[in-house]
Amino acid sequence: MYTYNPIYALLIFIVVSMVIFLLFRPNRGLFWKIRSIYRIDDKIVIEDILKQLYHNEAKQIGINFLVNALGYRDSTIISGIDKMIDGNLVYFEGEHLTLTEEGHDYALKIVRVHRLWERYLAEKTGFDKSEWHGIAERKEHETDDEEAKNLASSLGNPIFDPHGDPIPTSSGKIAELDSIPLSGLKVGDIGKIINIDDNPELIYKQILAENIHIGSQLKVLENNTTRVTFYSEGEEYRLAPIVAANIKVLKVNTPEEILEDNVIRLTGLKPDETAIIEGISKESRGDSRRRLLDLGFVKGAEISIDLVNPFGEPTAYFVKGTTIALRDDQARKILIKKD
Amino acid sequence: MDKRNIQNIIALANELRWKIGDDFHDNLAEGIYADAAEIVEDAIIDKNRDRKERLDNKIDRIVTSRVWGFPIMFSILALVLWITIKGANYPSAFLADILLGDVRPMLKSFAASLNFPWWLSGFLIDGVYLAVAWVIAVMLPPMAIFFPLFTLLEDFGYLPRVAFNLDYLFKKSGAHGKQALTMSMGFGCNAAGVVATRIIDSPRERLIAIITNNFSLCNGRWPTQILLATIFIGAVVPASLSSIVSLGAVFGIAVLGIFFMFFVSWTLSKTLLKGEVSTFNLELPPYRPPDFWRTIYTSIIDRTLIVLWRAIVFAAPAGAVIWLISNLYIGDQSIAAWMIHYLDGFGFLIGLNGVILLAYIVAIPANEIVIPTILMLTVLVTGMHIGEGAGVMFELDSVNDTASVLKAGGWTLLTAINVMLFSLLHNPCSTTIYTIYKETKSMKWTVLASILPIIMGFVVTFVVAQLWRIFVN
Amino acid sequence: MDVLPHSNCENCQHFNADGLKKLGVDTTDFDFVVALAGNPNTGKSTVFNALTGLRQHTGNWPGKTVTRAEGAFQYNEKKYKLVDLPGTYSLLSTSDDEEVARNFILFGKPDVTVIVVDANRLERNLNLVLQILEITDKAVLCLNLMDEAKRNNIEINIRSLAKDLGIPVVPASARYKEGIPELIQTISDVASGKIICKPHRIKNIPKDIEEAVKILSLKIKKEFPNIPNSRWIAFRLLEGDNQIIEALESGVFV
Repeated sequence: MYTYNPIYALLIFIVVSMVIFLLFRPNRGLFWKIRSIYRIDDKIVIEDILKQLYHNEAKQIGINFLVNALGYRDSTIISGIDKMIDGNLVYFEGEHLTLTEEGHDYALKIVRVHRLWERYLAEKTGFDKSEWHGIAERKEHETDDEEAKNLASSLGNPIFDPHGDPIPTSSGKIAELDSIPLSGLKVGDIGKIINIDDNPELIYKQILAENIHIGSQLKVLENNTTRVTFYSEGEEYRLAPIVAANIKVLKVNTPEEILEDNVIRLTGLKPDETAIIEGISKESRGDSRRRLLDLGFVKGAEISIDLVNPFGEPTAYFVKGTTIALRDDQARKILIKKD
Repeated sequence: MDKRNIQNIIALANELRWKIGDDFHDNLAEGIYADAAEIVEDAIIDKNRDRKERLDNKIDRIVTSRVWGFPIMFSILALVLWITIKGANYPSAFLADILLGDVRPMLKSFAASLNFPWWLSGFLIDGVYLAVAWVIAVMLPPMAIFFPLFTLLEDFGYLPRVAFNLDYLFKKSGAHGKQALTMSMGFGCNAAGVVATRIIDSPRERLIAIITNNFSLCNGRWPTQILLATIFIGAVVPASLSSIVSLGAVFGIAVLGIFFMFFVSWTLSKTLLKGEVSTFNLELPPYRPPDFWRTIYTSIIDRTLIVLWRAIVFAAPAGAVIWLISNLYIGDQSIAAWMIHYLDGFGFLIGLNGVILLAYIVAIPANEIVIPTILMLTVLVTGMHIGEGAGVMFELDSVNDTASVLKAGGWTLLTAINVMLFSLLHNPCSTTIYTIYKETKSMKWTVLASILPIIMGFVVTFVVAQLWRIFVN
Repeated sequence: MDVLPHSNCENCQHFNADGLKKLGVDTTDFDFVVALAGNPNTGKSTVFNALTGLRQHTGNWPGKTVTRAEGAFQYNEKKYKLVDLPGTYSLLSTSDDEEVARNFILFGKPDVTVIVVDANRLERNLNLVLQILEITDKAVLCLNLMDEAKRNNIEINIRSLAKDLGIPVVPASARYKEGIPELIQTISDVASGKIICKPHRIKNIPKDIEEAVKILSLKIKKEFPNIPNSRWIAFRLLEGDNQIIEALESGVFV
């Protein structure tokens, strides 16, 4: 009836599906890459340069630094800078670029939009932490003032982004933080994590993998050139100093603020033990956090394990007269105090 | 009231919010619970505070235990499916006897007495009525058995424990444990399974459950699988093994469906749906003795009849279309014959044929009428003298007769295997598609849920056909 | 304390059994609107069915009623429209269910809100009750599943509960139709103004928030003197609830 060679048919099929895969695979597909190159225009280049200058105001920045940091071609950067000088956003001090007042305001606006987006992604969407930064990097160039205002008001005009960085207000006000890097604490010091830097990405992912949370209190056990060891919420963590430097802490001095050592994560509760809930970590956000509060996971509530799962997860907890099962990644964000 | 004053209040609220900081919501929630605790302290004397002493907890310890949890779960599911399939046979045959055997000839002679032209009685009775009657006869009994049983388990409180037991597996594929239940519900009927996803209160996981429900082999597809496995797969092994092997093949298809469900769930959660909000929590409510008769009543009203009604609404026009394409001629061939002719090439490429593809196109309202349509169309194109004429769906009582019709239509073992695969992996029936739209209120997700399985179906049958032709033939 | 008063009420003079007529879905020309709120899985739908004679399916699942169901009954010549709201744990979040429930209580201005709670899990159910009492001051607490509470040896001091909450409390086992006549009588008393509620207002709030709420709610009261829930609106404003801000701007509250 029909004659053809099935081997060829199969080969054609395999080739076609490989091409489709290479073009469209998530994030790294050729199609997405080409599209993102195509999308780069002056506005994006200028705004990216502004941000670099803003974040590195203490350093003296030349063109080479920008080429390295941003990964654009030299010519793209140079033409961007030319336009910025024309627009009175930057000026040269010798070899170094410096922001003008207008440039500074513009940069602050970009930072504001970026952090608002991160906050939005954390509160209102299900994107993973590791993706917030990348998406916000894209969105910050596409959002105008009106949209930024709406975004802020839909979030209740937040003060901090999910990494703990302050969000500048539309008038350029920015909350001050006296934070120091974790690596700057001495042995025996107690600190509270208020910020985890999402840049560079490699270090950020390493910190995420350790399940270290913003808002956690910690006590430094060891701090030398090879490692920083600290105790927090029932567990001990060991980090390389370079990693620890990306975690910013507030030193806790007042005794009443210091949590007792028996404050641990809910995952540390064992069957037949009873504990009192101390609170929910700042890492639990948005609907997820509100739902936990609604269900009675509030400070002071008594909690115990009701059922253990055959697979070990989720665990059913008994709280406020009801049995509610939670997965470990949620239980980790609930702090308890054992009797 | 004064607009300016209102603006002032809102501005003041913004300023105060800045002052009291980020913890407002937490503080309020804690405050409410603190009040609640005080009130309860005054009003309640709980003489039996230790939950471990209660019956609920004792049952829970058994049904979620490492040893007993899974055997109990699978035997209950198997029992429910067995009762459904076995129990539905008799009422189905009874309904078919009445609706197809008695009522239809009556309608025919009634139409004849009114001097209906042949095409009008053909269109109305052989087309519209037959499709509707068929759907009622094969769909109603299994659903009327399956849903009440399921609802009884639900009302008793057992189902949340199943979700609890299986959540870990579903978490690995980015889904919610409750999807185990919507999936099981899908074994009865995908449309009902889609409605059941309402129990999943996390938006992302609910969408995943809706889009992948079609991978549960539904009631309308089990008979197709069983029939084809008996005719073609049972025949390649010695007679003593044939029933075991064909049963195993059907079971294998169902398991393959579960595998696809997990795989597609995982893919969706990592790609298209990763931005949807995800919140997990699973309440394990106390056990309650179900109110038996009320449950039977409401599950039949709420689930069975609603789904059946939707199916009928879609089946009636489909019946009309099936009759029309077989009886309207363009040139010297009926529309059906033309379409089969055009579809044959692609059908052959994926190891099927034009008849099968056309049957799946016109029988979109219900999987139940796919086999009758295939038989009718096969007779139509081969020119055999079986059945009741062009456009009249039929089924044969004897498996051997069915086999000979299909073989005359050019079916081979490959065709049978690919139809079994395609029956698992094709677009949801129109009732389910409509239900998906109702539940998601989104064209995007409805289209995705409709075309994703059929693309997978094409790919899988294509690959199987090529490999078969390379290695077997 | 009497845990489960039997429905002898049906024979008592106060309750006029002949005066009750279940009207099913006929919700035309009613005199009063009654909202039915409650946590998921508290037998809310059973109460709804018992009052209206309808048969909505109720599953032993948190969150079965997703859409809003309506029914009606007639009692002593007055017609009541009953609106079954989606079961929610709270009204503070932003899920669709909660918005439906909240908006109805807030903007639909029901004459009475019946809050169905599970007597076995009173503390958690009170979370929702206390929030509703911030929004409306005409409410009845239906303490459902009393039969189960009895089985679980839980005793509830109805009088103390009613006093603390400031609203009438009716114990019931809706499945066995116990307590339903009393509930109807109480609904009618609250609707007609025979019973005046003095609902509990949330007390355990940090000082700075309480201050902020006070300032805001005074200002709101000045603009909208007739609303009972200025404090709750202040809560929502502090939360940054856009829907409430819009409602204020458009003046829906008047």
